Amino acid sequence: MTSRNGRSHELVIRHARVLDPSTGLDAVKDVRISGGRVAEVGDDLHGTRELGADGLYLFPGFVDVHAHWRTPGREDEETIESGSASAAVGGFTGVVMMPNTDPVVDKPVVVSGLLRRIEQESRVRAYVSAALHVGLKGERLTEMRLLKEAGALCVSDDGLGTQSAGVLRNAMLYASSAGLPVLLHCEDHTLATGVVHDGTAAALAGIPGSPASAEDVATATALVLATETGAKSHITHISTGLSAALVRFFADHADVTSDTTPHHLTLTDDLISSLEGTYRVNPPLRPEDHRDAVTDALRDGTLDFVATDHAPHASEEKDLPLEQAAPGFLGHETAFAALHTELVLTGKLPLARLVEAMSCAPGRWVGEGGSLAVGSPADLTLVDPSEEWTVDRGSLSSRSWNSPYLGRRLTGRVVGTIVGGELVLDRTGAKFGVRA
Amino acid sequence: MEGTSREELREILDLADDVADGRLSNPLAGKTVCLAFFESSTRTAASFELAARRSGADVISLSESGSAIAKGESLVDTVVTLDSLGADAIVLRHPAAGAAKLASGYTDAALVNAGDGCGQHPTQALLDLYALSQSFDGFEDLVGRRAVIVGDVLHSRVARSVIPAFQRAGMEVALAAPRTLLPLETDAWDLPVLTSVDAALEWGADVLYMLRLQNERMTGDSPRIPSIAEYGAYYGVARRHLRRGVRVMHPGPVNRGVEISGDVVLDEASLIPNQVAAGVAVRSAVLTLATGVAHEVAA
Repeated sequence: MTSRNGRSHELVIRHARVLDPSTGLDAVKDVRISGGRVAEVGDDLHGTRELGADGLYLFPGFVDVHAHWRTPGREDEETIESGSASAAVGGFTGVVMMPNTDPVVDKPVVVSGLLRRIEQESRVRAYVSAALHVGLKGERLTEMRLLKEAGALCVSDDGLGTQSAGVLRNAMLYASSAGLPVLLHCEDHTLATGVVHDGTAAALAGIPGSPASAEDVATATALVLATETGAKSHITHISTGLSAALVRFFADHADVTSDTTPHHLTLTDDLISSLEGTYRVNPPLRPEDHRDAVTDALRDGTLDFVATDHAPHASEEKDLPLEQAAPGFLGHETAFAALHTELVLTGKLPLARLVEAMSCAPGRWVGEGGSLAVGSPADLTLVDPSEEWTVDRGSLSSRSWNSPYLGRRLTGRVVGTIVGGELVLDRTGAKFGVRA
Repeated sequence: MEGTSREELREILDLADDVADGRLSNPLAGKTVCLAFFESSTRTAASFELAARRSGADVISLSESGSAIAKGESLVDTVVTLDSLGADAIVLRHPAAGAAKLASGYTDAALVNAGDGCGQHPTQALLDLYALSQSFDGFEDLVGRRAVIVGDVLHSRVARSVIPAFQRAGMEVALAAPRTLLPLETDAWDLPVLTSVDAALEWGADVLYMLRLQNERMTGDSPRIPSIAEYGAYYGVARRHLRRGVRVMHPGPVNRGVEISGDVVLDEASLIPNQVAAGVAVRSAVLTLATGVAHEVAA
């Protein structure tokens, strides 16, 4: 991150409702930030710069372990600058970039090049996932040790499932030797032959469906292999009840974590009756029973955290019949608001568990952030829980606008994002009243 | 090698010394040694043949091509045939682990294992100990020395013989390999597993025992290493590693630029020529003990 001003040395956030599940704190407090770190949490703190946060929540910064910033190759859809701006708007202080770019992030020089660009352009902390196989083709292993030396955080063939169990097992063994966790998109392509969930909505709409088993079979394979190899693994975007149950079963056997997405927690496949390309996503939106099972699994901690799978697409890739549209949704800017509106305000998920799932757990996974304990990096998110707003195309900071929430009224909004003690998002400057 | 005691090792190496110094004249005179190689070999076959001839034996040599083996004769029948011809010793190389053990049940001749699949290669381990003893200050001087076996341990019969042999000689042994080239249970030998040649030197290695990537023995269609560049960066020995009297060993054949850089192979730190040279004397000693003194000493 670049230092955008020279005044970042000290900041006191006053009277915020500080909610930090990592320390168990939930009270109105003042937080003093100094040298980019949380210096003090207490009452009646003062500093050269103060920020009044009455009525606002202060959380550890959100961390998104699954995002596509489309760089290199599709900078028309997203750049590191725009992706990180979009993340900051959503309250994310840390983001992991997926490697399915053009060129694919499968060589050490691509990783080091991206990290240099991140250093120059990103408003938030950004981490690079390298590919697990060269070209994401599931054949040749990438040079994982050299990739790690170049700065890669993890390896993944995200976007494509690994089609051979033998290939995946070998890759897991090698990744564990290289000391890199494997992030797994679980999808069996012999089953995933459709474009939406194979259910009633697909049948009525006349759109080819992919069964839930396409995800479940691959999830089971991944979990079995993670158990046998002991490789540190993370299963991303779990969207079915059975996959969540499988994760629950394997929790004590494998070094595995998992996430699900805001859209699988808040939307269902009835949206495909619109036949609009907007609603195509992979894994597909599922019926209510899956959504509810996944919600239960997030609540009880079976699924460790939320990741958005932020996937910008140009309008010419989305403004198409559903069958022809590219799969993927924007995620950063609506994640908290959608989950707050649909799960917290409806009583389905305690706010503290949501913050744990958006901040603490993914922060632990990336090894940075996710806590307001004194001495932690000053990565914080300020939220106005009562602000109502409508998601509209013009308000998005992403270069793309393929959000499934367009036109929706949501309650709760990120109003400030602080990374390493610096305000990278200050939506309501008047309310903050930062005193220089 | 697991069943061989420290004293037996010393006996073989002492006898090899006698052979090398010419104190043993034609110990195999009147004996017939049959070389049955069901798998291709250069140095081992040549070494055994020289060892047998120099010790005065008659030698029959069968290789995979141009013999009954090529015509589909089974291992057991070949061994029975050689036995019937009056072989005193059968030196067997075979692509499957356990071949020597199986064959020994069908002959009264001494059965010397010259390498079976990913199983064992005992005379390699013996000649390695001989070369090491000469390089250091004798067999006793090996006690407490540290050797790291680097590379494709999973597919290496050499490793399966060298590990117990080095341990019997009093050496400390560690492995250095990615998990794709190790058994799933990486603690199968209960040895430390290191992550690179650099880590091996940090561990205090006196000997870097380099192994070739045995691509021909790798099962499954998924690759086990990403690239020669990455493999060489972590599991290859380069000139910069040659410090503080570290010895480099390799059972051959060497792949220059993969597990060992070209300017190391013939460096003075390299015992590779010494290993090959030790082969003849050690194999003469093994054949002598096997035919004269003990049955199956080196199986």
